[in-house]
Amino acid sequence: MPEHEHDHDNGHAHDHGGAHAHPGVGSSDYVPGYFEILERSITELLVERKLIGPDEIRRQIEVLDSRTPALGAKVVARAWVDAGFRKRLLANGRAACEELGITFYDDTGLIVLENTDTVHNLVVCTLCSCYPRPVLGLPPDWYKLKPYRARAVSEPRAVLAEFGTIIPDDVEVRVSDSTAQVRYLVLPKRPPGTENLTEEQLAAIVTRDAMIGVIPVEIRPDHRQAK
Amino acid sequence: MAGKEQLLTHLPTEFGGLEAGPIQRVEHELEPWEKRCHALADVLDFHKIINTEEKRRGVEALGAEMVGKLTYYERWIVAFTNILFEKGILTPDQVARKVEDVTARLKATPPA
Repeated sequence: MPEHEHDHDNGHAHDHGGAHAHPGVGSSDYVPGYFEILERSITELLVERKLIGPDEIRRQIEVLDSRTPALGAKVVARAWVDAGFRKRLLANGRAACEELGITFYDDTGLIVLENTDTVHNLVVCTLCSCYPRPVLGLPPDWYKLKPYRARAVSEPRAVLAEFGTIIPDDVEVRVSDSTAQVRYLVLPKRPPGTENLTEEQLAAIVTRDAMIGVIPVEIRPDHRQAK
Repeated sequence: MAGKEQLLTHLPTEFGGLEAGPIQRVEHELEPWEKRCHALADVLDFHKIINTEEKRRGVEALGAEMVGKLTYYERWIVAFTNILFEKGILTPDQVARKVEDVTARLKATPPA
């Protein structure tokens, strides 16, 4: 059973009754829990009824595994070095990502939000966990948990401060609440001192959390010396 | 806003604007079954069997206790099951029998 510390949306401690085993990874005495058995059962029934193909789950897992924040970082770095691309990205996020070969396996739209000297953007999903998965992969647990979802819309500056990000009072903080149809990606500000970095080096400093908007992109010491 | 009206203004999964504790900066690698469950959600969406909004409402319909006590993907698989019942695609009997089969099979040959 996956009943470790993760993923309780309500932020309350779970009832860890101790009745179930906590198998180690790869342990041969792994006992699937009720919900895993339910997942296996539903999938088998759907395959037997030919409502889904026998190989589709495995193939979709491959798709999920191929999506990481490196894709989003590539998009951001391109936008920093190519003004024309940046313009197209801000006009139609999905089409611009597709231009870079990033396919959207779902029918979601993507709006790219540009951070500037006067506006800082933050992305949340208050209702569930909508996230730009085609370009960032799956969201971190904290994005799905109650404290972030509850407070990002009512006290974003306090939330940002908990990530160590202090936004000056004269910079507007804009919070975008994702939906099933529309997802958001933050285009962070390009940090000063990166004028000589290549597009690839720029992509390497762009982090997932910066594209959610909870932290800025910072130049890493190993890039500061880059010629 | 601690009165009963909050039950109406914020359904079990509507957290926006509620008071809550500090951000918990936790992450975990998905368990294999959780990843399969995520892939199942996508595949159900591709085939227009259950879309993202139906899934979200399915989780909301679990009610506050289940939303509070089940983990993320536990909520998803239970919501899918309920929606498949509602749509007449599967019946509770079929699922109950399959759960017995799968349980017996896993007992005979545990997964690696």
